[in-house]
Amino acid sequence: MNRLSKALAQSLVAVALVAAPSFADEQEEALKKDLTAVIALNGLPCGQVIAVTVLAESDYAASCKDGNKYRVYLNAEGRVIVETRK
Amino acid sequence: MRVAYAAVLLVMLTAGCVRATSVTPVPEPPQVVATQPATPPAAKPAAPATPQPGPVKAPAPGAKPPAPATVLAAPGAKPPAAAAAKPPAAAAAKPPAAAAAKPPAVATLDLNSLEERLKGTKAIGLFTKITLRGQVNDLLDRFREYYKGKAKLTMTDLRRSYDLLMMKVLTLLQDEDQPLASAIVSSREAIWGLLANPETFATLEE
Repeated sequence: MNRLSKALAQSLVAVALVAAPSFADEQEEALKKDLTAVIALNGLPCGQVIAVTVLAESDYAASCKDGNKYRVYLNAEGRVIVETRK
Repeated sequence: MRVAYAAVLLVMLTAGCVRATSVTPVPEPPQVVATQPATPPAAKPAAPATPQPGPVKAPAPGAKPPAPATVLAAPGAKPPAAAAAKPPAAAAAKPPAAAAAKPPAVATLDLNSLEERLKGTKAIGLFTKITLRGQVNDLLDRFREYYKGKAKLTMTDLRRSYDLLMMKVLTLLQDEDQPLASAIVSSREAIWGLLANPETFATLEE
């Protein structure tokens, strides 16, 4: 019984280790999608955001499929600003 | 025992790896927020009922534009007098008593509900929502300038901007929150009616 409990606990830990990155992946995908929409709404070329780097809170560096790079951030007035990066 | 343990571990690992796609139950189509008069397709007049960007008549700033054909339940907005819509020729074939009993064409619009649904929808990300809010505020600023007579805009320009913004919102919603997209489509003309009338626009500002 004791061995079974131990096995079960180990299994749960293993599952948690597998599930956590999956959740993080989903969050990152959602962020990429959000930034793709923001860039498109601002009429800028991108196609699709393929990589995101967090620069600060509500401040991101986005790399697009077409090679364009943008900084997307929330300014003091509460507006989302998209700036082209080199 | 070891075999059982290995089997349990394998099953759980496999289960963990499988990304279950959450199938959200498709809710029933929402109640039509802006109701249109139930007229048979054959009874439709030749001219389109909805104003198109091209033929929109631009009321001069300060001038009273024609009252919208829909009654709007916007906060504080007084419903314009409902014009007794004459049934088209095809509908005239109905008994006159039935036609007289028919209530006037009325459309209601619940802006607060739409706003809450837009805020709550998961189809649009947070940054996208903030961007859209900024663009909505920009459009309202343009209307404000237009009614003050400061802008060189025409009502056609405003209508074009409004349509473009609506298209952006609908594009974002249509795949993942179809009920909300449908509700917005239904309310599209009613919202335009609010914006295009300086009196109702003023009530929105309050």
